[in-house]
Amino acid sequence: MTTAPALSAKAKPKANGAQQKLWAFASLIVLLLFFSVASPNFMQTSNILAILQATSVNGVLAIAATLVIITGGIDLSVGTLMTFTAVIAGVVLTYAGLPFAVGVVAAVAAGAGCGLISGTLVAKMKVPPFIATLGMMLILKGLSLVISGTKPIYFNDTPGFDQISTGSFVGAIIPAVPLPNGVLILFLLALAIGYVLNRTVLGRYCFALGSNEEAVRLSGVNADGWKMAIYALAGGICGIAGLIIASRLNSAQPALGLGYELDAIAAVVIGGTSLAGGRGSVLGTIIGALIMSVLLNGLRIMSVAQEWQTVVTGSIIIIAVYADMMRRRRLS
Amino acid sequence: MMNRRTLFAAVSAAALLASTGFVAAQDKPYIALISKGFQHQFWQAVKAGADKAAAEFDVTVTFEGPDTEAQVDKQMDMLAAALAKNPAAIGFAALDSQAAIPMLRKAQEAGIPIVAFDSGVDSDIPVATATTDNAAAAGLAADKMAELIGDAGKVALVVHDQTSRTGIDRRDGFVNRIKESHPNIEIVDIQYGAGDQLQSTEITKAILTAHPDLKGIFGANEGSAIGVLNAIKETGRSEVIVIGYDSGAAQKAAIMDGSMAGAITQNPVGIGYETVKAALMASKGESVPKLIDTGFFWYDKTNMDAPEIAAVLYD
Amino acid sequence: MTELVRMMGIDKHFPGVHALKSVQFDLVSGEVHALMGENGAGKSTLMKVMSGIYQPDGGSISVAGKTVTINGPRAAQDLGIGIIHQELALMNDLTVAQNIFIGREPRLRFGRLDEASLNAQAEAIFAAMKVRIDPRAEVRSLSVAKQQMVEIAKALSFKSSILIMDEPTAALNDAETNELFTIIRQLKSEGVGVVYISHKMDEIKRISDRVTVMRDGAYIGTVQAKDTPINTIISMMVGRELEAVHVEIPDLSNAPMALEVKGLNRGRLVRNVSFTLKQGEILGFAGLMGAGRTEVARAIFGADKRESGEILVHGKPTQIRTPKDAVAAGIGYLSEDRKHFGLALGLDLRDNIAMASLPRFGNSFGVIDDAKLGATADGYIKTLSIRTPSARQELRLLSGGNQQKVVIAKWLLRDCDILIFDEPTRGIDVGAKAEIYKLLQSLAAQGKAVIVISAELPEVLRLSHRIAVMCEGRLTGILPGGPATSQEEIMHLATLRTDEPTGAIA
Repeated sequence: MTTAPALSAKAKPKANGAQQKLWAFASLIVLLLFFSVASPNFMQTSNILAILQATSVNGVLAIAATLVIITGGIDLSVGTLMTFTAVIAGVVLTYAGLPFAVGVVAAVAAGAGCGLISGTLVAKMKVPPFIATLGMMLILKGLSLVISGTKPIYFNDTPGFDQISTGSFVGAIIPAVPLPNGVLILFLLALAIGYVLNRTVLGRYCFALGSNEEAVRLSGVNADGWKMAIYALAGGICGIAGLIIASRLNSAQPALGLGYELDAIAAVVIGGTSLAGGRGSVLGTIIGALIMSVLLNGLRIMSVAQEWQTVVTGSIIIIAVYADMMRRRRLS
Repeated sequence: MMNRRTLFAAVSAAALLASTGFVAAQDKPYIALISKGFQHQFWQAVKAGADKAAAEFDVTVTFEGPDTEAQVDKQMDMLAAALAKNPAAIGFAALDSQAAIPMLRKAQEAGIPIVAFDSGVDSDIPVATATTDNAAAAGLAADKMAELIGDAGKVALVVHDQTSRTGIDRRDGFVNRIKESHPNIEIVDIQYGAGDQLQSTEITKAILTAHPDLKGIFGANEGSAIGVLNAIKETGRSEVIVIGYDSGAAQKAAIMDGSMAGAITQNPVGIGYETVKAALMASKGESVPKLIDTGFFWYDKTNMDAPEIAAVLYD
Repeated sequence: MTELVRMMGIDKHFPGVHALKSVQFDLVSGEVHALMGENGAGKSTLMKVMSGIYQPDGGSISVAGKTVTINGPRAAQDLGIGIIHQELALMNDLTVAQNIFIGREPRLRFGRLDEASLNAQAEAIFAAMKVRIDPRAEVRSLSVAKQQMVEIAKALSFKSSILIMDEPTAALNDAETNELFTIIRQLKSEGVGVVYISHKMDEIKRISDRVTVMRDGAYIGTVQAKDTPINTIISMMVGRELEAVHVEIPDLSNAPMALEVKGLNRGRLVRNVSFTLKQGEILGFAGLMGAGRTEVARAIFGADKRESGEILVHGKPTQIRTPKDAVAAGIGYLSEDRKHFGLALGLDLRDNIAMASLPRFGNSFGVIDDAKLGATADGYIKTLSIRTPSARQELRLLSGGNQQKVVIAKWLLRDCDILIFDEPTRGIDVGAKAEIYKLLQSLAAQGKAVIVISAELPEVLRLSHRIAVMCEGRLTGILPGGPATSQEEIMHLATLRTDEPTGAIA
């Protein structure tokens, strides 16, 4: 047993991964450069912050979707779950008048709870993830409307609630960088979940389940339990997204959320995570989410007609995934 | 990830598309309109009015809106992008007034005047509001309904949603007028179909089944009204009086062939036109009236072709 | 020698099947105990009971003399029972070390993983096994043989005293098999008891001490491997003596040419391959793993794009760019992986048979003539003697041998007169093998041109009229079939490398 081969062997997969992320990042840079040249209004601090702000909610949802997709599943309920947790925060803070922290905990806990229900349906009752989360998506949309009384719930009585998304902790320290807190939360969450995926038992089982669930089971691992835990974690993350969007709009909008799951899944896929499971990264997802919002913002800044914006976005999704597949094929 | 060259090609293509619709815009004043929607005929008519004003006053206008009226945050992103372009003025139809206020305040600080359209913004930031009095318009629909069913019997409402201002105003406008002035009419059901024709069709069929003696249905926007018409056609319950809202080819045809008794029309073209006009005036520092009532009309077979009505209807 | 496991009167029912009928089995330390039987005899089921995957309906299990209940894979691991499954149970996207320690990752506090210790431990296991595998390599990037080694390492990492191997050599070549046997012998000497499931008789003789035979879910008997002739074991398995076989080579000198391949090239594994095939002939393709036999077949069939080379079908140059072209030219390819490429296991037998020829059963509106389809399927069930309750049986419920016959029927129906069989008897039990052989011979006798690719030399020798041998992508020779050719001659050609490496570097 020597450590020398260990060190030399370590370099290879790392280099591969780094190369992949470099590509994704390069694409993002190319987009940024392109729009900077195309319009003088694009590359200004306020617009960059607007892009980041626009990424915060989709980015957080996409992180949740990434976890589930790596296990080989899919979560269609992230959008309406986000709304549901926002409504829960509204009920706790505005209707019940409980302290700020209780609202935050309630939203995240509600998210985790709903995720656990999805996870139980998928892992224990063997309902296909597509169906289980489609059901949850509709249930949560309905419950959001029921609980809120079909009206937006405003957070006017909770001072500081809007700071979750729109305030700037960073700006208070470095006035030149007024990074909104919603974006800060996105980045911190990305770091945390990236760590969880790569360095913890939960993350390891996440990849293992997506790679070969039967093998995990046969290895004597409590596969169902871990899967439920992953769905619950994803749900909790949706709760964070719920807080960010509620803070940004200073209200819980009960009718919102449908369709957001597709944006999240698109970001995940652009980021190179395989829908077949077993492969993926949070960094890729964040870059995917950024690519989507940079693209949309840039097209708007260039005053591209709205009907063409969606055509271009759709094309970019296909091109991105196709290019990624081609590159992988060349490598293998 | 993405291949650099393919990406660049795609974006270049996008730029090309953009440039076709964006020629020599530099010197003209630029006005951004952020609407509540985009793909419905109503909003396209607002856009047509805005484009008309743009041509008349020689300004550049862009028009954008989210896919559904629930996507409050997407509308914020659109507003943010519009602000980055440093427009002369912004026309804004708020999906949620409160949520928009921080962003509007930013515009105010940057000296960009805001003109609200369609529904108001609960704030003193907008220099003017170009809108229809939806409650009064729905009240007129209620009066017409009463007249057509003999001021007694059961009626139902199919509304696009229960959270937006227009949804609430039209529903309440109709319901309150019935309560105040037509005590013999009973409102048996109010359902929401997201303005989606198919959903509204299914909802209406359920209402028709539940109430065999139903006399009339009010569809509170274009999609809802068409859904109601579809359901009447599918069930053959042609005795039920249908009143719609807004216009569009389908509703116009239905009124012509008698399957719809009549409808309320706003003046969407006028809304778009007045918004751009007021925005331009405000950007030049001229004073504009705080409230621009763009009006509404009852139209049916008898007056559809009258010039003042035909002018505000759209296909 | 101490007793490791004793299973008594094990019973197991599945819906509609009595899978185990009061079966007994025992294992002592330091022995290799082979478990044999035809497919469906209950070997794997019994081992799944031992490793906690199935719960028995009756009977008792004792480990080291103590009666136990094994209620899950975890419990089995805790008792020192490790199993290497027939279908490799690995996670392709994870690294070797991550696979080995799945479920038992060395942890730091707060559920964090100790990756360094993980890799070091894996490295230690491979060092002990004297196998060179990088613990950080993704399993996806390893050969099947290496993946097999990972499975063994995983089982060893449990400090298992009982190791169950379910057909571990199915995908290994001779050198790899030898490596595996070295490891098994080493384990034996350390007192590990190994349960060894295999269909390969020569392996059983080489490695095992005792042999237990099962048939139709029942225990037949246990014999000493050394003193029991192979035929006895086979007759225990099939319940009858096997007749001796000899190859009859027909005179094909006047037979018309079916297929001519000239200068075929594709990548590293198909290099300037030329051969001919006559109607009524069976041409065997022999060679070691990775010699390029399958690749030649795929290039001919148009499944992989060829770089150069000419293909003549019935004397006419034929452009084959896709499998569709090949099928149109009457070439059928029966891939080695039936489940992945050849069959739709969820569909019934008749739909599978008709899959390549479905338009023939449709009228001009595309409506399928069910009666005609049924009659055709029934015809093939009869002529190929496919054992199935009906043509409506879902394919996944048939045995491997019968599935193979369905693939054959599919291509026969498509009027293919050149049939390429890639490992036609892989995963098929002894009795069914003989039937497949008979079927191939009768196909040739009817004038079909047949290519058989097989890693098992006895199979090639038994079937082929001529034997083409490949090594590293080249055709190194074509030998006559029958007793004129020995296994040694084939092995010589199979290892005939063009540029012999100088020195002893492997």
